[in-house]
Amino acid sequence: MIKTSDLDPDFKYEIANEPGGENIKKCFNCTGCTVGCPVTEIDKGYNPRKIIRKALLGMRNEVLTDDSLWLCASCYICYERCPQDVKITEVIGAIRAIAQREAKAGKININNLKPLFDNLFIDSVKKNGKWYEAGVSGTFMLKTKGIGGAVGYAPMGLSLFRKGKLSILPHKIKGTDQIKRIFEEVETK
Amino acid sequence: MKLAYYPGCTLHGTAREYDASTKAVCKAAGMELVEIEDWNCCGALEAIFDKELSMGLSARNNMLAQKTGLDLVIPCSICSHNLARADSAMKHNEAFRSKIEKALGGKYTGVKMKHLLDVMANDVGTEALSKKFIKSLKGIKAVPYYGCLLVRPSEVSKFDNPENPTSLDNLIQATGAECLPFTQKTKCCGGNLLMSKQDYAFILTRKLFDEAKVAGANCIVVACPMCHMLLDGQQSMIERAQNTIIDMPILYFTQLIGLAMGISEKELELDKNMVSPAKLLESIGKEKPEEKKVEIKAPGKTEAAEAAE
Repeated sequence: MIKTSDLDPDFKYEIANEPGGENIKKCFNCTGCTVGCPVTEIDKGYNPRKIIRKALLGMRNEVLTDDSLWLCASCYICYERCPQDVKITEVIGAIRAIAQREAKAGKININNLKPLFDNLFIDSVKKNGKWYEAGVSGTFMLKTKGIGGAVGYAPMGLSLFRKGKLSILPHKIKGTDQIKRIFEEVETK
Repeated sequence: MKLAYYPGCTLHGTAREYDASTKAVCKAAGMELVEIEDWNCCGALEAIFDKELSMGLSARNNMLAQKTGLDLVIPCSICSHNLARADSAMKHNEAFRSKIEKALGGKYTGVKMKHLLDVMANDVGTEALSKKFIKSLKGIKAVPYYGCLLVRPSEVSKFDNPENPTSLDNLIQATGAECLPFTQKTKCCGGNLLMSKQDYAFILTRKLFDEAKVAGANCIVVACPMCHMLLDGQQSMIERAQNTIIDMPILYFTQLIGLAMGISEKELELDKNMVSPAKLLESIGKEKPEEKKVEIKAPGKTEAAEAAE
C-alpha cells in the first residue's frame, strides 16, 4: 500500500534537473520499455516502467534503495522504442546519480556492486586518463570476493597476460591535468 | 582515404586482435589511419550513466581529432556511441560546451565520426571492398551479431536499421561465407552487468550461443570489443558456470574480411582470440556435402492417422 503522506512530489523535478533525466515527466506509462527489456526477460522482478512510475509518484526512498536501479544493462532498446522519448536509459542514470550522492552522504545504503566497480573504474581514468584493467579488476575482486575469490580469476588473468592482452602497469596519458579539469567542470552544478 | 583513428582502451589490451586486424584490413583497402595523439578513455560503460562525465571525457578525444583536420573512425561500439553523443552535445548544448571548452582551452566546431563498420560498409562500400576479396570463405557459416550500441540509439548511431540492421550481413555474404538469419542480432550480451551481476550477464550471453547453434552457425561475427569480451573472453567461464560445452569461435568482422583479402592469420592475430578458431579456419573451402533433406510429411495427417490407415 502506498501512503500518500510518504510521497515526495518534488522527486520528479529533482530527477528532471539531473543530466539525462530531463524527459521523465513525458512518460505515459505504456510499458513499451518493459516488454522489450532483455533483463526483464530473465528477471520478472525487473520492471523499468515501475521504476519510472514510482519516481513520478514520488516514492523517492523506495526508488533510490531498490536493487532494480542497478540492473539496467544500458542496451538502449527501451530508449529506442519509447514513443514519448523519455530516454529511459539516461533517466536511470540520473536516478543513479541521486542515489550515489545520498549513499555518499550516509542517508541510504546501496548493496549492489555496480557503483563500486564503476567508481573504481572512473577513479582510475581520473588518475591515468585511461582505465587500468589489471588494477581495477584486481581491487574489485579482492573487495568483493576476498583473496580466495580473486585467486579464482588468476587463470583467466594469466591467459590474457600470456596473449599480451593484459598490462601489469597502468598507462598514463600526458594530458591528465585536462582530465582533472573535466572532472571539476562536470562535478560543479 | 585518410582518417583519424581512435582505438580506445580495449584495442590496446584485451581486444588487440581487433586493433591488428583493423589496421591490416584498412591498409589493404587503401586507407591510412592516423592514431590521434594522447587520447584518453571515453568513460566506457562505467561512466555511460553519468552523462556529463562520459560526454566530457569523450569530448577531449573529439577535440584532439579536430586538430588533425580528418574525419574520425572508431572500431569500438561503446567508444563510438560516447564520442558521437559528446559531439552532438558540444554542438547543441551551449552550457555543456562552455564547461568543456573552459576545461580544455579551445573551441570546438565538430568532427565527422563513424564506426568502422559504417566506414567499411558505406564509405569504402561492400561492393568495392569485395573486389579485394581473393579467397572465398565458403565453409564458414556465420551469424552476424550487432549487439546494442552499434545501432542503438538511432538518434546517435544513424547508419543502419536499429531493429534489423543488415550492413554486417552483407559484408559476411560478400566474403563467400554463409550468413545465417539470427534472431538475436541486436539482443544484449549483458556486458554492462559482467562485474556486478555475472549470473545475469552469463544467461544473456548463453542465449546468443544457443540461438546461433539453432541457426546452424559455426562462428559468430562481431564489431564490438565488449561483445567479444563476453562471447569469446568469457566463453570458458560460461561453460564452467553452466556446466556445458559451447566451443564457438568469435571473429571480429575485420578478421573475417581480412581472411577474404588473403591477409595472413598471424597479421590478423587469429591466435589471440581466446576460443581457438583453428577448426573453423580448416573448414574454409572444405564444405561437407549437403546432408540428405528430411522429408516433410503431408500436412493434415497425424502419425496416429497414418498408423490407422
